[in-house]
Amino acid sequence: MASVAAPGRVTIWQIVEHELVDARRFWRSVVVAGLLTPLLYVVALGIGLGTVVNNHSNALGVPYVQFVAPAFLVAAALQTAAASATFPVMAGFHWIRYFHGMAATPLSPRQICDGKILWIGLRCFVSSALYLGIVACFGGLHRWQGVLGIFAATLTGLAFAAPVLALSATVSAEGQAFNILFRFVVTPMFLFSGTFYPISQLPGWGQVLAYISPLWHGTELARGAALGNISDLAVLGHTCYLLGWLLAGVALARWRFRVRLSV
Amino acid sequence: MEATAAKGAADPTIGVPSRPLILARGLTKRFENFTAVDAVDFEVERGEAFGFLGPNGAGKSSTMRMIGCVSPITDGTLRILGRDPVTEGPQIRARLGVVPQQDTLDLEMSVQENLYIYGRYFGLPRAALRAKVDALLDFAQLTDRAKSRVEPLSGGMKRRLTIARSLINDPDILLLDEPTTGLDPQARHVLWDRLYRLKQDGVTLVLTTHYMDEAEQLCDRLVVMDHGRFVAQGSPRSLIAEHSTREVAELRFPPGENADAARTLAGVLTDERERVEALPDRVLLYVGDGEAALGKAHELGLSPVSSLVRRSTLEDVFLRLTGRSLID
Repeated sequence: MASVAAPGRVTIWQIVEHELVDARRFWRSVVVAGLLTPLLYVVALGIGLGTVVNNHSNALGVPYVQFVAPAFLVAAALQTAAASATFPVMAGFHWIRYFHGMAATPLSPRQICDGKILWIGLRCFVSSALYLGIVACFGGLHRWQGVLGIFAATLTGLAFAAPVLALSATVSAEGQAFNILFRFVVTPMFLFSGTFYPISQLPGWGQVLAYISPLWHGTELARGAALGNISDLAVLGHTCYLLGWLLAGVALARWRFRVRLSV
Repeated sequence: MEATAAKGAADPTIGVPSRPLILARGLTKRFENFTAVDAVDFEVERGEAFGFLGPNGAGKSSTMRMIGCVSPITDGTLRILGRDPVTEGPQIRARLGVVPQQDTLDLEMSVQENLYIYGRYFGLPRAALRAKVDALLDFAQLTDRAKSRVEPLSGGMKRRLTIARSLINDPDILLLDEPTTGLDPQARHVLWDRLYRLKQDGVTLVLTTHYMDEAEQLCDRLVVMDHGRFVAQGSPRSLIAEHSTREVAELRFPPGENADAARTLAGVLTDERERVEALPDRVLLYVGDGEAALGKAHELGLSPVSSLVRRSTLEDVFLRLTGRSLID
């Protein structure tokens, strides 16, 4: 049998490589969905609803499509991240069990966890770049700094994905927790995080919910970058809040991966 | 000491020849209030095929997972390749091949991609992997399925792929946890043939099984485990010699009459190693000479519906040591 050269260094990029080999099979559908989703949102809400909004007032100061486009960018990244951190992770532990296969190699549970997070970040980044390109084609980009929204979207996706990853590494039922997560966390977050209108329109309790939601902080960053109406202090505050979620989430997820993979 | 050093110098492929590949002393695994592995001692030498035999829940898989450095030990000492799993888990795992009880293949990827990606997890360079993957596909008789997705493959093919995958890093020790459970007889024989070839090539095999024929075919040495402890150990042949008789006569009587027949049959035993076991459907006579025992049974006026004489097997040893009641 052919012998093999001495093993090299094992890094979390090998997990990304695994995902890329996997993604070769379905990248077309991801790209098509990635192009269609922004197109539908921008046409239906930005232009359709926007025509009504713009005709009645100029309270937002910019065309409605430019107001909602950065918010959709962040919301789409968060949804991509949530989807990548739930069912595929459940499959890795429970249905197909390939994480258990990885754990038998030199990879540590922590590297498996970090590799998954890195992959989710890359996915968010690429899909956000694609999204912004489409939106720009439809006049959704007000100024070039709006491109920074890609980073805001990626950070938001990661900040939410990390604790969800910890959840996915913990539950062992048939994905029931995920239905609850999507129905009672992801969807309400989309509706109450200043995506469609400034949260100043919400009652006090609604604003509190928005402040907690990582989506609102990401939306503020992306919208600030797109429209230029944000202070440096606000940028710092929102970024730190999201980083806080990310760091806490990564710590939780590493812990749950370790518990699940080394018993 | 001197002889050992000289031998080590003569054979540069083996660092310290006197050192076993696996060394366990008082190895223990406890889960909350349940002791899965209860202070067991064993050693596995290079080139050996070592088996853990036992009913479900005996602690075989827990032991294997500790050797595989994916399950921390609760107590005792464990050294694999002379290293401590607590501090050098990744370094040890780099030298192990693992065939888990349940397949952990990526079902969406092709046969070839599964081998390639697994090799990458050992940090093997891409170029070197291509030749290695082809050789392993050939070994596992999967060359013509190289590009197929894994999901629709038969259980036997998936198992062969898992074994091929476990060899991607040319492991020093191959750990096989119930490698043929759930396979049909044809697939099992193909797998045994592959494992036997590995053994001939000098790969150290450590396997668990509850199939006695598998243990007899593959293992040089085995331990019988029950309730987390070793209840016997030795070669298949020595275990039979030690814990059973040379032959077994099976006598079948009409339902309800087996227990009474067994009491009568106690009279045919010639020494204290021989014994009678009454089952609901038949009586087993563990004796040195089965034909002679049958003759005596007829002399005692017993006329079984059917009878046969066979050699003692590992299964007799196993049932003797671990009992006949179901363990769930």
